[in-house]
Amino acid sequence: MKFRDYYETLGVARGATEAEIKAAYRKLARKYHPDVNKEAGAEDQFKEIGEAYAVLKDTEKRAAYDRFGSNWKNGQDFSPPPNWNEGFEYADSSFGGGYEGGQSDFFESLFGRGAHRQGGQGSHPRQGMNFKGQDHHAKILIDIADAYNGAKRTIALHMPTQDASGHVTTQERKLDVSIPKGIKAGQNLRLSGQGGPGMGEGGPGDLYLEIDFHPDPIYRIDGKDVYLDLPLAPWEAALGTTVNVPTPAGSALELKIPAGTVASRKMRLKGKGIPSKEAGDLYVVPTIVLPSAQTDAQKEAYQTLAKAFDFNPRTHLKG
Amino acid sequence: MSQTHITWIEGTVVENEIHMTIMELSQASHTPQDLIMAWVLEGVLSPAGATPQDWRFSGDSLKRAKTAAHLTHDLELNTSGVALALDLLDEITRLRNQLHHENRD
Repeated sequence: MKFRDYYETLGVARGATEAEIKAAYRKLARKYHPDVNKEAGAEDQFKEIGEAYAVLKDTEKRAAYDRFGSNWKNGQDFSPPPNWNEGFEYADSSFGGGYEGGQSDFFESLFGRGAHRQGGQGSHPRQGMNFKGQDHHAKILIDIADAYNGAKRTIALHMPTQDASGHVTTQERKLDVSIPKGIKAGQNLRLSGQGGPGMGEGGPGDLYLEIDFHPDPIYRIDGKDVYLDLPLAPWEAALGTTVNVPTPAGSALELKIPAGTVASRKMRLKGKGIPSKEAGDLYVVPTIVLPSAQTDAQKEAYQTLAKAFDFNPRTHLKG
Repeated sequence: MSQTHITWIEGTVVENEIHMTIMELSQASHTPQDLIMAWVLEGVLSPAGATPQDWRFSGDSLKRAKTAAHLTHDLELNTSGVALALDLLDEITRLRNQLHHENRD
């Protein structure tokens, strides 16, 4: 287990006041919040900041943590000494947040799993009779082809579940889900009754699956439009040709490349994007690839080309 | 291979087909109804219908409400702060898309 230096994470001195810690947390949380910062790694960073704040803002946890002393460095191998937290008692703190879970092993072994986890606001009925179960959310990744053709997929979800004593454990759950044709990244699929169990006669909650696509080596997606880079040889672009273009639907299309095609001037295949009431378009973006001249015959071919054209690609440089 | 019996769960695409009531949205976004009402007053969400009982939230409201809930909890923003942040995030998304398209042309 690696030691986590929570003071370093928040960028505050060990003697920082509560107000300083709060200010440092807020500033970093705004910067790395996953709804604000779309860069890779922001969400992990945000979780680390949240974890550090959950400890340092809590007087008891902070005092217990401070007993390890200041010689520990971030990432150093660490195991807590026995009875290190004797005499400390923590109330389950309610560090809020839509972004739950993902505490480090370090945090969990010190303060317990779920110590800073809090189910959504106001939906933990502790008494009373009939309540609908909690709605759950999960993100799933599908292939682009699934959005074109529809698909049946078995997905594994890791659901944090809370037992009667409030401990949180992660359970794997397999679901056989039908992915409807035409679904797009960012959309939610609602599975009725697949959320948390209800109480009394209240039915179970719903499960919302937020859809995203696996990164694809060939296609890029923008809403319901799909982009495909199409490499062409210089003579194919200059003279025109017919090429086979794959589509995410699985079938290939025969595409006529007109003579004088220019790199990056995209061609639109109407209605060949992600299907829906108004289907998206498939854009083919030509790129021109120059073969390198290896043999004498190939070099000669380039020389013939040079002679045939009075071509200066640098006229705009006025050089 | 033997064919086992699988019942495939059919879902509904929230963005296309569902118009949520305030109760459903509250349940789905883990947000108390009074906070959702405050967001509507602030213009964060714009349901159809005149009174909270009649309100119907369009599909993209769920995503918006979830983001608003995250920002409220994580950054301790108040209602007008959330409204401003969401407007700015929309503007950033719009500009990013524009940039993306211009780079491509």
